Order: sequence, then structure tokens, then C-alpha cells
Amino acid sequence: MNRDTVIPPLNAIFQDVFDDPSLEVSDDMTAPDVEGWDSLSHVNLIVAVEKEFKIRLTTAEVRGLSNVGDFIALISRKAT
Amino acid sequence: MIAQKTASLDYGRLVRESRKLRPDGAHQNIRVAILSDAASQQFVPLLKTLFHENCVNAEIYEGAFDAIELEALNPASGLYEFLPGVIVLANCTQALRSRYYEHKGDDFLETASQRVQRIWDALQRHSSARVIQCNYPLPYERQFGNYDLKVPQSLYSVTAELNSRIALYARQRSNALVCDVEAIASYLGRKHWFDERLWAFSKAFCHLDHLPYLAQSLVEMVLSSMGRVVKCVILDLDNTLWGGVVGDDGPLGIAIGPHGDGEAFYHFQQYILSLKKRGILLAVCSKNNRETAIQPFLENPDMVLKYEDITVFVANWENKAGNIRAIRDTLEIGLDSMVFLDDNPFERNLVRELLPGVIVPELPEDPADYVRAICELNLFETSSFSLEDTARSELYRQEAGRRELQTSFTSIDEYLQSLEMKIEVARFDPAAVPRIAQLIQRSNQFNLTTHRYNEAECETMMRDEANYLPLYARLSDRFGDHGLISVVILNVSAAEMEIRDWLMSCRVLARGVEQYLMTRVVAVALEKGVSRISGHYIPTAKNAMVKDFFAQFGFEKVLETDGGSRWHLDPTAYRPPTIYITEKQRTS
Repeated sequence: MNRDTVIPPLNAIFQDVFDDPSLEVSDDMTAPDVEGWDSLSHVNLIVAVEKEFKIRLTTAEVRGLSNVGDFIALISRKAT
Repeated sequence: MIAQKTASLDYGRLVRESRKLRPDGAHQNIRVAILSDAASQQFVPLLKTLFHENCVNAEIYEGAFDAIELEALNPASGLYEFLPGVIVLANCTQALRSRYYEHKGDDFLETASQRVQRIWDALQRHSSARVIQCNYPLPYERQFGNYDLKVPQSLYSVTAELNSRIALYARQRSNALVCDVEAIASYLGRKHWFDERLWAFSKAFCHLDHLPYLAQSLVEMVLSSMGRVVKCVILDLDNTLWGGVVGDDGPLGIAIGPHGDGEAFYHFQQYILSLKKRGILLAVCSKNNRETAIQPFLENPDMVLKYEDITVFVANWENKAGNIRAIRDTLEIGLDSMVFLDDNPFERNLVRELLPGVIVPELPEDPADYVRAICELNLFETSSFSLEDTARSELYRQEAGRRELQTSFTSIDEYLQSLEMKIEVARFDPAAVPRIAQLIQRSNQFNLTTHRYNEAECETMMRDEANYLPLYARLSDRFGDHGLISVVILNVSAAEMEIRDWLMSCRVLARGVEQYLMTRVVAVALEKGVSRISGHYIPTAKNAMVKDFFAQFGFEKVLETDGGSRWHLDPTAYRPPTIYITEKQRTS
């Protein structure tokens, strides 16, 4: 899967999980940029992404993310 | 009662819905505290939404993470300040596992089970809340393979034994219930229940996809303890209780029995019978001629359910919604405490449409899956079970029989006559005293003076023949025995006779019992030669029903104050009313 096909559904997931219909993901976005992005909503986000893209992320992959750009790259690599 | 399965148990949906919730003034309210050694935050939106969908506004208190003991043992904790109605102890297997691995010594099981009791004790001491303890899904990790079971200190054995002990402790305490999380996890699949990544990231109780099932179970337990329970199952017959159509195939031609085509229905009937034995009433609602519908119950030896198992049997060609209303009226229970099981989607939809309160589960096409489909809905959740439950069916069946008869008579006199009522009146005796005292404690409406005598006081009057004539009455009729239903205590010490107490169970109102007893009382007075019978009515918030009790028998009101009224009767002026009760000769 490439970036362009990942971003629209990922946007929808972010909007849903953080309950903000105006939210648009960007590469340099990090947790402090988004209201309500704590360790709990992080888990909600991971589970929603796994379900949407039919992938399974390892602990190290999740821990290794430093911003949303990394997340988009990771999903693009793993999702078919 | 089962939470209404209005929509899917999807984690994302429940979280989304929870954001839109506003308390509804028409809903019941409940305060639920949740204490967990996993993250409790993820429970909250699920519980709120599920409660809301069942017309309950839930206020939820979350204890600090992994601070169950601290909150429970400290009487000044936020938990007790919150004044919860229900306290959920959501212990999880991963936290138990950590403690197990860190524990020194062989006494982990003892330590863990004492901890459970210590926490329950503290909760009971400082709160009157109902406690719901989650048990532990069995761990997947094994040290010895299958040999784990032979090693009592293995994690697997310890967890299984701890679950047994939790169940055992809960049986000894009326305020504690166990949420069988192990049953939920096993049924969904423990392989998918545990998610070690989510546990590592945020101490998630289990994979989030499964959390709604646990939340649902907790909601069902709380609803049942609020009195929302199923009391009656209404059954269709053809292709629900047996295979085929009795009108076409005949009572012996239908598919029912332990082998072959009838086996699925046989199992279904066994399950339904087990529900009846635990206190769920059974009713039949079938589109059939009554005679045809009854035949299999009477004539087919492979039928597990017999005619006597059915409290109300309705078979006619009317629409089922109307018939279900009639069943409701006969049993005097709410529509929302009834489950309707019918293989026909048309009938199911009709009942859903016309009687929205009734619980109407989808039945799968294959009758072999009926029991499973019903069990997955957990329709019969309860928070109590007593011997009385097992006898309920019989009591209701008698009452239903009486009503059925009543509708076929035009005059009440004809009806009362047909009941063939027998009464037994006797002076208090030691065997009857416990029930007498119970009736004295419980009777509120038909009670002239509402003196609450205990057993010892009843025995004192029983022995004091010079001053008291304390009487009780039992009533039976052709449908069954009502038991001891009335108490009349006469003071016979003076030249006038005083009716000191008169009370009766409201189950036997309008049968002529009080008329029968008054005639007896007057007979006693005449025999003793007293010139006046006096009586007293003391009003309470509940006994307005009997404020004119004496007037109907010709008593004259001689005094009326805020504290009640006083009445007199000259026994020679008494005119006995018509009564359809005969005296039963005592056998002993």
C-alpha cells in the first residue's frame, strides 16, 4: 500500500479516536499536538489501525514511532 | 435481564456513542465504582453506553490504578465517599501472574485467596454496596504442559483453584456476586482474549475487541440486581418445541425424542425444563386448536415438557400479541420480564412491533442451535436463587387455573361456589406459630391494627386461655392449598369481647374468608353470652382497604379520632352473609 491510499482511512481513524472531525494527519504530527492523545487513546488508535488495514504491529514497531510520518510509513510497508 | 441487544458489541461504536450521552430524566440511576489492577478507563465509556441503552444513567467512579486494597481498606477513601451502589472488582490475570512470579514461597494461593476475603470484608464493613468480583481467565502459559494440572503450585492450577475459592466465598455472602470472566474469555477464545502488547502499552484488561463482552456481562449483573429479570418464557409449539406440525403429523408423528430428527428439540425441551425448575415460568402461545396443541403433552411419551410444566397454555387462532397480553394479565408480570421464542419470523416481528417491551430473540434456522443462541444472549441472569423460586411455577399455575375458570362464569357467586373452598380455623398451635408470626410481620393492607407480634408474643397469647382466643385460618380450593392466610386475635377477658387483631393475606381477598371468620367470631360471642363485640381500626399508610371493615358487618362506630375508630356490635343483631366456604375437618 502507498502513502496516498493509507492517508484517507488513517485520517478517518484519527478523527474518530480523538473525536475531532477537523483533524488532518501530517508527517510531523506527534502526541502533544493532538488533544487527548495519551497512552490509552494510543491503544485505541493502534487497535483501530490494525483492524482497518488488517495488519498486526509488534511492540517494537509501536514503540519505535516518533511521529505520524513514521506511522504512515510503517502502515504502508506492512499493509497489502 | 439481558441488556437489550440493540446494536453490536463493537468497541469503537460504544466509545463513539458514549460521547453523545446525556442523562435521561426518565431513566433509573445507578452509581458504579470500578476498581481494577488493569486500566479501568477503557471500561467507562462501554459501561456508560450499555447502561444507557438499557435506560439507566450510570455514574461511574474509577479507583486509582492497581489500588484495590488501598481503596477498600481505607474508610476515608474516594470509593466510600462516592457512595456506590455497586462495586466492581475487575482483577485481571496478567496482574495475578506478575504477583505469582514475584511471590516468594509456596503459599501464593493462600495469600491470594486471603487477599480476596480481606478486600470483601473491608467493602462490607464500610459500604452496603453489592460487590461484583471478576474471576480470572485461565492463563495460556504453562510450565509443565499437561502436567500443570498435577502440580498444585503451577500458575494454571493456582488460577483455577483461586476461581473455585472465589465461587465458594461468594456462596457464603449475600452481597457478593462473581462475574465469570473466565467463562467469557474461554467462550470467545483465550488465544485472542489476552493481548500482551496492549497490556504492555497501557495495562489494557484484554484485547479491546473483547472488552465490550465483559462490560455487557457486568451491566447484565447490575440490571438483574436492580430487579430487571426475566420471569417467563413464552413458547411457540410447531417447529419450536418440536419438529413438524402437530395438526398435520399428529401427536405421535411430530419430531421429538432422544434420537434422530427429534433430538435437537429434545435437548431444547430439556433446557427449557431446567429453566422451569429454577423458577422461570413457562407459557405456551400457539396458533392451533387447543385440543390439538395439548395432545403431544399428554400423549407423546418422548415429550420432556409435560402439561403440568406449563403455567399458562394459550392455543387459539387469535394474534399472538393479544394472547401474550392475556398471559401477562394472568401472571401479573411486566412485559419486559417475558421472553418470546418462536421459529416464525412473522410472529417474532409482530410481537416486537406491537409489544416492544417483550424480549424477542432471533432463533437460528437450525433447531440444533436454539439452546446456544439463547445462552449467548444470557437472558436469565439473576442475582438471587432460593427454594421459593423452584416452587413458584406451581403457585402461579394454581392462580392461572383459578382465573381461567373465572372467565367462564357469569356471576361471581357461581365462580366462588365452583372453587369448592375449604377452610380450617384453629387456635394458635406451636407448629403454626412461625408462619403466624411471619404473616403478622408482612400483612400491611388487610390489617386492622398492625400490631407486629413476634413468635414469643404469639406463644404467650397461645397459652393464655383465660384472656385470649387467638385464631388462624387455612384455606384450600380445588386448585390447591393457599396455606395459612388469616389471623384473628380475640380478647375474651371482659364481659365484652374485643377483636384485638384481624389480618389476612391479600391473595385471598373477595373469597368470603373474612365473612366466614366474622360469622365464627359472632358464634363464639353468643356461646360465651357476651352482649357486645368491640373492634378497633388503626389507620396506617397502607391499610385504607379495611377502614370500613366493621361497617359492612353492621358494627356501629362509637368513636373516631386521628388514632383510629372504635366499633361496637350486638352479636344477636348479626345477620350472616352468604358464604361459599365449608369447614374442613381437622385430620390431626
